[in-house]
Amino acid sequence: MTLQYGQILQYLPDFLLGALMALWIAGLAFAGGLLIGLFGAAALTYGAWPLRAAVTAYVRFFTYTPQLVQIFFLFFALPEAGIILSPITAVLIGMTLNAGAYLTEIERAGFTSVPQAELDAAETLGFSRLQTIWYVIAPHVVRALYPALSSHYIIMTLGTSMAAIFGVEELTGRALNANAISFRSVEIFSVVAVMYIVLTIIASTLLWLVGRWLFRVKAKVF
Amino acid sequence: MSAWDIILAEAPRFFTWWNLRFLALAVVNTLVASVAGCAMGYAAGFALAMLRLPQLMGFAPVRVLAILWVETFRRIPFLVLLLLVFFLSQFARLEAPLWAVAVTAVALRMSALAAENIRAGFETVRPTQWEAALTMNMPALTTLRRIILPQSWRVILPPSIVHVLSMVKETSLVSQIGFIEITFAAKMLTQRGFSALLTYGTALVLYFCVSWALASLGRWAERRLTLRPARLTP
Repeated sequence: MTLQYGQILQYLPDFLLGALMALWIAGLAFAGGLLIGLFGAAALTYGAWPLRAAVTAYVRFFTYTPQLVQIFFLFFALPEAGIILSPITAVLIGMTLNAGAYLTEIERAGFTSVPQAELDAAETLGFSRLQTIWYVIAPHVVRALYPALSSHYIIMTLGTSMAAIFGVEELTGRALNANAISFRSVEIFSVVAVMYIVLTIIASTLLWLVGRWLFRVKAKVF
Repeated sequence: MSAWDIILAEAPRFFTWWNLRFLALAVVNTLVASVAGCAMGYAAGFALAMLRLPQLMGFAPVRVLAILWVETFRRIPFLVLLLLVFFLSQFARLEAPLWAVAVTAVALRMSALAAENIRAGFETVRPTQWEAALTMNMPALTTLRRIILPQSWRVILPPSIVHVLSMVKETSLVSQIGFIEITFAAKMLTQRGFSALLTYGTALVLYFCVSWALASLGRWAERRLTLRPARLTP
């Protein structure tokens, strides 16, 4: 038996579409997670204790259990209670809730990165609340959070591969399909592995450049 | 029937001695695969971090290879890595048992994560310490063992426990090749006709307990290591 890469060339365009879909799934779940994280972090910082306890329970539950089993639960267990989700919906809801838990923790760290002295200074200078948020708080928070958020987006892009288990046709899903037809397993999965590497390196570089130009963040991304 | 009724109706049939023993075995399998894989991964990661030390490796090509290894294995999704190892072992006709495939995949991924973690630990020690030791004619490896490591392991240990925790969760993907860990056990029980609410719910609870224990261990280690004044670092 020898490796034959020629046979799988025909699948490359299909795989590229799958890679785009992986980025899209990760982006959608990331955006949802960012929003949940914002509310979660605000609740943890300013909320009353019952709210804090509820958010902590949510974060603990989603960070201490595997994302795969969470989606299994959404996909296989909820129908017994009368809620039927399509594979892609289950994956998106699962990934969003999971991201929300991690991003709550990340964003909370960003909230604490504003020095009190700068807030006092802004007040002394007579900044309005909006001006304070825009000119004083936002730069600190964005600069503190940007590397961690970007890295989490890359990690989520890798995480989309588990959507394949539910039959979603992103990159890994398409690889499994191609494998079922051609049986060139090693060739297919090595090509797909390289595609993930290239994909995440491109995404990391773009995020790093954007961070440098827009927010003057110097840290490395993933 | 509401979800709660299903659970109440099925629980006596589900929590039998046989099922509990089966689930306990699955927890042990999960722990063995992740801990053994992490141990091997950390050993490899330590070697990789050593290769990247300019004080230890005079020639740059080796460092480049180490960086390539790290960047490769941390940028492949665990599921793809696992399938690749699985199919490669079939292709090479190794007849490798499933646990070996699982541990290899965990170890490969862990080696990349550990290398970064250990390198970050090494970098917290100031380069002047290397220079001082090397000036006093201390061999490079002895310097690493007696001067750099004692200072950096406080930085290395807490994230390591977080890594083991994340590996415990990622082993759930090993269910895809049929290794009987928690997720696969839940899947098998579902196929035996038990309610998915109950089986996957139990799996979630089991993972939560394992993670909770590991996270507590991590917090305890971090507190212990950081509370004591670090006299060694100037």
